[in-house]
Amino acid sequence: MTTQLVSKRYAVEDPGQAIELCFEKGWTDGLPVVPPTESRVRAMLDLVGLAPEHQVAFITNRQVAVTAEKVAINAVMAGCRPEYMPVVVAAVEGIGDPRWGYHGPATSTGGAGVLMIVNGPISRSLGFNSGDNLFGPGWRSNATVGRAVRLVMRNAIGTLPGKLDRGTLGHGGKYSYVIAENEEESPWTPLHVERGCRPGDSAVTVMAALAPHQFYNQLSSTAAGVLTTMCDAMKNPGMIGQPHYCVVLAGEHMRTIGADGWSKSDIRKFVFENTQNSVAHFKRTGRIAGAIKPDDESTMRSLVLTSDDLLVVAAGGRAGSFSCYIPGWGSRTSSQAVTVTIKDRRG
Amino acid sequence: MSPLEILDPTVEPKKQPLTYVPRPDSLKGKRIGLVENTKFNSDRLLLKIGEILKSEYGAAETRMWRKHNSSVPAHDEIIDEARRGVDVVVAGVGD
Repeated sequence: MTTQLVSKRYAVEDPGQAIELCFEKGWTDGLPVVPPTESRVRAMLDLVGLAPEHQVAFITNRQVAVTAEKVAINAVMAGCRPEYMPVVVAAVEGIGDPRWGYHGPATSTGGAGVLMIVNGPISRSLGFNSGDNLFGPGWRSNATVGRAVRLVMRNAIGTLPGKLDRGTLGHGGKYSYVIAENEEESPWTPLHVERGCRPGDSAVTVMAALAPHQFYNQLSSTAAGVLTTMCDAMKNPGMIGQPHYCVVLAGEHMRTIGADGWSKSDIRKFVFENTQNSVAHFKRTGRIAGAIKPDDESTMRSLVLTSDDLLVVAAGGRAGSFSCYIPGWGSRTSSQAVTVTIKDRRG
Repeated sequence: MSPLEILDPTVEPKKQPLTYVPRPDSLKGKRIGLVENTKFNSDRLLLKIGEILKSEYGAAETRMWRKHNSSVPAHDEIIDEARRGVDVVVAGVGD
């Protein structure tokens, strides 16, 4: 590829000075970055098969075109290998999709991160973790792909914490929030296939998401038993109106629920029906304004609008009676999860 | 010659010309548009502001529109109707 890179260049004496310059310029998430040299950036672009000027996303509110060159620079800085670049590009396409509604989740005091769920063959070939310590450190692909997306948000789109990112609390997932689905051991249809991809496709689903909430049940040997515990926890949300909840079922719970013959659709229906609260409850607990009326005790409100708004993912360690649920951000009209097929654009 | 060059990861947003229409000298007899951003109580606050503009500043009437949600600009229908039907618009973001 011979197209000129147009980004401004800075001369430095050595890699150490380059790292410090990136801090001084405000280009990092608080951790050191890999110096984005031309050769590293070109390796990213070559691997993904995109010209530097290719527009990956356009963020209307900011009037910013995010080019492949800027995605590649930030992916280098995040520590990605060139092979990760197609996943980063797909994720940036996802947050640039109008359905994801960039401005809301990126800037809101609600403090959402970008949960990225990787499915398909690429999740295994690139070593994305779908098992132990699912949301924790230790895997380069999980750690750096999410970090790259966050650096694109910061540097290319200007989503700076304290300025255009006004999250009141934020959470650790705003550094990186990438998981893969454990398709090899899962008894269920993979998430990306449920959302319209072919089984052989690789895809990333982006969801504006708050932090994971872990729950514990080591007593039940039935699907209903395990999910009753989860629903009891989910039923008391800190916020209401979320467009999605993601349910992440780890090894032991996955096997228990699968052994009962429950499909993901069965799980969604059970969770949808068993997480409803009365309007009276929401009024008593300060989530809905106004005095309680007689009908409020029997008027039920669901966590999400339909059971299809619950994303169910098989992931997490094989051992331990823990799983989690992840609240989404905003409302259905503000931000929806988007699944993007990861393309191989090389000739 | 320096041994190392690094590339700038940032993007300068496109510059957009922004001009304000002239402010009216008086609100007397003016039609007031209120653009509500869907946040809790924003409608009540704007209606109150509209009442004050009528009772204390002589505005003729108020009309309120509701955005699709608080994170997006007012949609085209609001802009078109406001352009045709009101003289002044009050909008804001509030929680």
